[in-house]
Amino acid sequence: MALIEIKNLSKVYDNEGAKTQALDDVSLEINKGEFVAIMGHSGSGKSTLLHVLGLLDNPTSGKYHFSGKNIGSYDKNEIAKIRNQKMGFVFQAFNLLPHATVLENIKLPLMYSEIPESEWDTIARNVAISVGLEHRLNHQATQLSGGEKQRVAIARALVNDPEVIFADEPTGNLDSKSGQIIIEIIQRLNTEMGHTVVLITHETYTAEYAERIVRLTDGKIECDTKVENRRIRGQCFVK
Amino acid sequence: MRINHQLKTAINGLTSHKSRSLLTILGIVIGIASIILIMSLGQGAKDLILGEISGQVGSKIIEVRPGGEPQGMTDFLSMFSDSLTQKDVDEIKRKGNVPNMAKIMPMVFSSVTLNFGNENHPATLYGATELAAGMYNIKIESGRFLEEDDVKSNSSVVVIGSKVRKNLFENENEIIGKKIKIKGRNFKVIGVIPEGGQGTFSFDDAVLVPYTSAQQYVLGYKYFQHIIVEADTEENVPRVVEDIKITIRNSHDIDSTEKDDFSVQSMIDAIKTMETVMSILTLLISAVAAISLVVGGVGIMNIMLVSVTERTREIGLRKALGATDKDIMIQFLFEAVILTAMGGLIGIIFGASLSFVTSFLITKFTTYNWLFSFPISAAVIGILVSSFIGLVFGIYPARQASKKSPMEALRYE
Repeated sequence: MALIEIKNLSKVYDNEGAKTQALDDVSLEINKGEFVAIMGHSGSGKSTLLHVLGLLDNPTSGKYHFSGKNIGSYDKNEIAKIRNQKMGFVFQAFNLLPHATVLENIKLPLMYSEIPESEWDTIARNVAISVGLEHRLNHQATQLSGGEKQRVAIARALVNDPEVIFADEPTGNLDSKSGQIIIEIIQRLNTEMGHTVVLITHETYTAEYAERIVRLTDGKIECDTKVENRRIRGQCFVK
Repeated sequence: MRINHQLKTAINGLTSHKSRSLLTILGIVIGIASIILIMSLGQGAKDLILGEISGQVGSKIIEVRPGGEPQGMTDFLSMFSDSLTQKDVDEIKRKGNVPNMAKIMPMVFSSVTLNFGNENHPATLYGATELAAGMYNIKIESGRFLEEDDVKSNSSVVVIGSKVRKNLFENENEIIGKKIKIKGRNFKVIGVIPEGGQGTFSFDDAVLVPYTSAQQYVLGYKYFQHIIVEADTEENVPRVVEDIKITIRNSHDIDSTEKDDFSVQSMIDAIKTMETVMSILTLLISAVAAISLVVGGVGIMNIMLVSVTERTREIGLRKALGATDKDIMIQFLFEAVILTAMGGLIGIIFGASLSFVTSFLITKFTTYNWLFSFPISAAVIGILVSSFIGLVFGIYPARQASKKSPMEALRYE
C-alpha cells in the first residue's frame, strides 16, 4: 500500500478574484521507503504540491490518503498531530528559532509530542550526532554556518522518527559544497534509515540523488521516471 | 504541549525583545503604581486621622453643638448660635435623663491675642473644666492643670501650649506664676502642655482657661459652643446620644426632630463618617488611575499584534512541527499575561517606593506622624487586575496568531 496517495488533486489560489491554478488534477502515489524528487520551474506548482502533501495547505479538490487514511476526515488537531508524529520538514530558509540553541531547536517538535520530557535530551542528542552536530549543541542558531543550520533543521525533522521527510529546496540557500553534504545526509536518511523522502528541487544534479523524479509543469505532472544512474556518495561524508 | 513549556516558550519570546517588552508594559506600570500610591497614601491618611481621633480623644466622647445638623456652608454660622446653656448641662446631668453619662463638660472657644511684655501671640482659647485633661488626654509638663476650684471661682488662671510658651517666653526659664494678658485681663500661668497631638487635637497653639472665666472676662456671653459628654462605656454611646437628644428637646420644647436647634455627634460617628469619606475618595482616584490601565492594555494589544505579524514565520514553523491552534494561542496569551503581570509587579514596587518616600518626607518636614502603610490587598488586586488586562487584551492578538495557516506563515517574508 502506498504511504501517500493523491487522486485528481487541484489547488486554486484565489487572490482577490485573480485565480491561479497551482495544481491541476494531479494524481500520484509514493510508497513507503521511496526517495522521490519533485522537479519543476518556479511556478510549476511543486511547492504547492509539497505543502498539500505535508498538510500545510488544503487542496481545493481531490482526495489525499496518507497511510491509507483519508486526510479529509481529520480535524485540525489531528492534522497537527500527524504533522508532528509522522512528518518531518526541511525548508530552504532553515527556519530555526534564532535565539534558541541547537539542542533547543532540535527539541522543538518533541515539545508538541506525547513523548515524556525525560527522554527529550537523549533523543535530541542522538539525532544531533547522526547529522554530525554533537560539537555544536549549545551554540545559538545564529552562530552557525548555512550548512550547519540545515543540519539542525534535518535533525529537527528526524527527532520524532517520522514516516516521511519533506525537503523543500534544502540546498537552495547553500554553497555547492555544503549543499552536497546536505543532500548526501538526506539520501542517507533514505538508504540507511529507511525514511520516505519527498524532495523538491529545481536542480537536476540534486534530484539525481533520488530514485524517482516527478516533473511538474503548470500544475500537471509532465513525467514520472526512475533515475537511471543514481548519485550515491553514501560512504564518504562527515562522521 | 505542557504548561511549563508554554511558560518557558513565552518567557523566551519576551526576553528576546527586552527593551520592547519593557516599553510595552510602561502603561501598566504607571497605572498600577498610581493605584498603589493612592491606596497606600489613602491608608496612611486614614490611619493618621483615625489614630488622631481615637488616640487623642476617647471613643466614649460625645459632642453636643448648637444649631441643627449642618446642611451646607451657611449652616456653619450656627456654630455661633446661642442655644446651649447651663440649663442644658444641668438637664443632662440629672441622672434620670441620661443614666449612662459619666462626665460632662461645657466648652467655649475663641481666637485671641496673648500679650506678655512686648510679645504678642495669636492663639486659640479654650474655656473648659478640669475634666478636659482626661477627656482629651492632656498631659502637663510643668505646673498643674485646671482644678474644680478654678472653675467654680472664675479664676484667672491659664494652662498654655508648647508653642505659646516658646513664642511668649522665649528667654524665660521659670514661667509658672507669670501673667499673660488676654483681652486686657491678666491670667496667671499655672501649667504648660508639652508638644504633641495633631490637627484639631493639638493644644500646642492653644491656651486653656476655666470656661467660667472665659465667659465672664473674654467672651462676655453665657452660652456654650460645645457640651462634651463622656459615656460610661463605649457600648452605651448610642444610647447616651439618644438620651441627650431627648433631654435637650424636652428642655427646648421641640416637638419634631427637624426643628432641632442642636446636634449631637459621637466620636464613633465622626470616625465612621471620616472612614466613608476617605474610602470614597480613594476609590474615586483609583478609578481615574484605572483608566490608565485600560490605556496600557490597548498598548499591549497593539504591540502584541505587531509581534504576531513579525513572528509569522515562527508561528508557521511551530505549526508545521505539530503545534495546534490552541498551543499557539496559549503561547501568545501567556506572553501578554506575563508582560502585564510583570508590569503590575514593577508598578507595585514603584508605587510602594513612592509612597514610602512620600511618607518619609511628610514625617520629616511636618509634625504629622505619617506612617507608611502598604496595602497588601491592593497589591494582590494590582497583580490580578494587570494579569486580567493581559488576558483580555491578549486574546485578540493570540487568536490572530493561532489562525495563521502554516503554509502562509512559512511563506511570509
